[in-house]
Amino acid sequence: MNKFVDRPRFSCALGGALFTLRALARAIPIIHASAGCGYNLYTTGNAGAGYLGGGYCGGTGWSSSNVVEREIVFGGTDRLSEQIRSTLELIDGDLFVVVTGCMVEMIGDDISAVLDEFAGEEVPIVAVSTPSFKGNSYDGYDMLLGGLFSDYVRQGVEKRADVVNLLGLVPGQDAFYKGNLGEIKRLLERLGLRVNTFFGEGETLENLKNSSEASLNIVLSDVYGVKAADVFEKTHGTPYISLPLPVGAAQTSQFLLEAADALRLSREAAERVVADEEARYYDYIERIADIYNDVDLQRYAVVVGDANYAPAISRFVADELGWLPRLTVVTDELDGEETRRIEKRFTGWESDAYPLVKFDTDTSSIQRYFQDAWEPSGNERYYDSFSPLFLIGSVFERDLAAKLGVPLLTVSFPVTNRIVLNQSYAGYKGGLGLASDLLSTLIAGR
Amino acid sequence: MNYITLKSPPVREERLGTGVAFGGTAGELRCAQREGCINRASRAFSQTQGCQFTLSLGIINSLRNAVIIMHGPIGCGSCSIGAVGASQSFKRMRDPNAEGLIWLNTNLNEADVIAGGENKLKEAIRYADKEFRPETICVPISCVPSLIGDDVDAVVAELQAETAAVLIPIHCAGFKTKAMATAYDDVYHGVLRHLVKKPNLREDQRTVSDDLSDLRRKYRDSRTVNLLNVGSMSRQDEAELERLLNAIGLNARWLPCYSSAEDFRYALLSALNVSICGTHDDYFIEHLKVLYGIPYVIDTMPIGRKNTARWLLKIAEHFDLQDRAQQLIDAESRELDEALAQFRPYLKDKRVFLGGGEIRVVATAEILQDLGMKVIGFKGHHYDRFAEPLFESLEDVDDVLFNVATQQPFEQINLVNRLKPDLYIGHTGGGNLSAKQGLPLLPLFGPTYNYMGYSGVFEVARRIRRILANGQFNKKIARHCPLPYKASWYEQDPFHYIKEA
Repeated sequence: MNKFVDRPRFSCALGGALFTLRALARAIPIIHASAGCGYNLYTTGNAGAGYLGGGYCGGTGWSSSNVVEREIVFGGTDRLSEQIRSTLELIDGDLFVVVTGCMVEMIGDDISAVLDEFAGEEVPIVAVSTPSFKGNSYDGYDMLLGGLFSDYVRQGVEKRADVVNLLGLVPGQDAFYKGNLGEIKRLLERLGLRVNTFFGEGETLENLKNSSEASLNIVLSDVYGVKAADVFEKTHGTPYISLPLPVGAAQTSQFLLEAADALRLSREAAERVVADEEARYYDYIERIADIYNDVDLQRYAVVVGDANYAPAISRFVADELGWLPRLTVVTDELDGEETRRIEKRFTGWESDAYPLVKFDTDTSSIQRYFQDAWEPSGNERYYDSFSPLFLIGSVFERDLAAKLGVPLLTVSFPVTNRIVLNQSYAGYKGGLGLASDLLSTLIAGR
Repeated sequence: MNYITLKSPPVREERLGTGVAFGGTAGELRCAQREGCINRASRAFSQTQGCQFTLSLGIINSLRNAVIIMHGPIGCGSCSIGAVGASQSFKRMRDPNAEGLIWLNTNLNEADVIAGGENKLKEAIRYADKEFRPETICVPISCVPSLIGDDVDAVVAELQAETAAVLIPIHCAGFKTKAMATAYDDVYHGVLRHLVKKPNLREDQRTVSDDLSDLRRKYRDSRTVNLLNVGSMSRQDEAELERLLNAIGLNARWLPCYSSAEDFRYALLSALNVSICGTHDDYFIEHLKVLYGIPYVIDTMPIGRKNTARWLLKIAEHFDLQDRAQQLIDAESRELDEALAQFRPYLKDKRVFLGGGEIRVVATAEILQDLGMKVIGFKGHHYDRFAEPLFESLEDVDDVLFNVATQQPFEQINLVNRLKPDLYIGHTGGGNLSAKQGLPLLPLFGPTYNYMGYSGVFEVARRIRRILANGQFNKKIARHCPLPYKASWYEQDPFHYIKEA
């Protein structure tokens, strides 16, 4: 199963952990690793996530023990201890998190013994093991959150029925995580809930620290955040449900009703919210009824993306835009169970316009699947060609799009050709945003 | 110097006595370098920085018709994601049909850490050779396979017989050195051992040759120099340097960035190797001299008019063309003076702090002094003897502060806070912190801008004038986004965390 990857669309566990901390206000990572790990991963996450930047203390600013051969031979714990002490002296933060790279894990540095030296410190310091050889950046998100859930989140807190936590959107790997979390939070608040997303607008470490009040964790993914939610349940007794990331009106309405049911909220109230949101949504969509039908904006689509975006966007273009997705490639490293969960997302669509679904991490594979998705030309005089086609993927699909002469919208990591600020592709707002971005590409020459 | 029989080159701390930690004045630093006592490398507080592996990619990501196999866990070399656009568009400036950046990662996991990653590497090499049919496959080797002892040279020797591509292992494990510029030696080491060989001219002849065309070719080669470009250069820089060489009757071949495999072979026909940046290429050109008898010039970097003139004269000297070069220099300099006049009133006495590669910061300072600006501080990634010639183009900088630090923006932030420059000229990475000091910022290099030669002086002047004309963006950032350092840090000695050992 585990093999080389042709242009991986993720980095390593340490990278996932660092960008998760990047998204957490006033949390300060202390990297215990070789000197280049942090800078390499910053470059990946910055460019890949639509220029997310180093933020408060990141990029070349990340505190890092920069272990070299000497520490590899004699052990790196003294260096780590010194680095923690100096980081506390220098950097103004509310939570310090030691994250580890491969080298120090291979030499077996005893990190918890080092942390014991700092037991008397006023600010909390926790350590999470995040070596690259134990997982990719999506796994790093789970490892990091799992560590914070067990070692930082308050224990023994009374549950509140109206509080939920949102998991499953990986900061950085999802370039639009902040906009997406904001939209889902807005909608759940309309159901009368209080929502911790940890990484959302205006949230602080208090949201994370007190997240054990929540009576339910909602994992907006079939894959990411599930392991962290497991840890949360074991540590704090809060159960979780896993619902797919909703994009557009149909999926979001379904999401809200399922969330309301899971929380035993009034179905009627939820339906009122859904009806109101859908009315607002279609007030906008009505605008494009003219152009869509005047010039025929229906397209075939090929969707390439991670386990969150690939099914959600495929369904959105099929069930709402009335497009015909013919091929969807999910680019994550998934196990059999995770694959089955994703495959299930390609059922129950109102349009019945299901694509061929492939699971493949390799960028050069995408084009090979075209011949399975569409009958190749045999140089017939009349050939029903795979056009007009729209490619939705990452910047790795740019060459393919250029070769085929088809438009491309980059949504899934890496998104190096866009500046991402508060845009969202989740929820009702996200559906409008996605429709606008896709269709704008088609009419850009007008 | 001949390390070519070794598997990997020595690290620069050993080979050049390179130092990566120093705080003092430029005069003190140069004195310490001469006495061989700048070899400090540790800090009690440190920040992440480039490593050999990532810096190696700076060259190999630019090679045409090449596929790169990052041999390591999945995160190593993922920074190439940030280079996909630039790599492709700059390659296409040489060859409109060039492929974009293609790399694989061998994705070593826990089982491989125990059992070794050689089989996965073999699979990856076979796949890359078959799928992409590249001319070369570069295999940068990261920390994990180095530590577990994967014998990549043996894998390469075994597979070379079955692959169409030339296989080049690059030993660049990050943990081996803090002098990240050792990366250039690592890449050149692999290139010298596996790629550089005399071209087979007989095979390459497409028509029957005659004595006259042979003579012509030999004459042309005797007037051709290899210019060793660096990843931070632009095509415009190359065009400008080439223009100057052409003007004195010389031709240029460019290596190594954006080259293809055959460029490394034909380069052996050239009469002279010319360094553009001493940090990059001393290892390569010295070995080319030892192995192939090609003389070289390694001296200054052609940024600023004095440096450019000196660079040109050193090359001209080799061909006995000093008079022509001097005439060109005089004419260029006169014309440049006229062109710069419009900017001088705006730039005079403005105070500037420079940070980045030590060769480049010292070279760029010449432009600033030329424009009547004041250089008030340097920060160099490392320091060794190759920066020395650059100082000769500067005036009165002995007492100017010099911080040697690879990245380590915390020291720079402290210094900038003390020195309060009007402009910061800095290396890429760290803009998120520099911006919060509210200063206007000019990138020290940019692969789409011209910095070198005479046109480079004009371009830098013009851009500084533009950047100083409106600094609102960083001012607003500074007002709304705090730096992460405690107030006490700004009171502390900026070099407090540099350790003796």
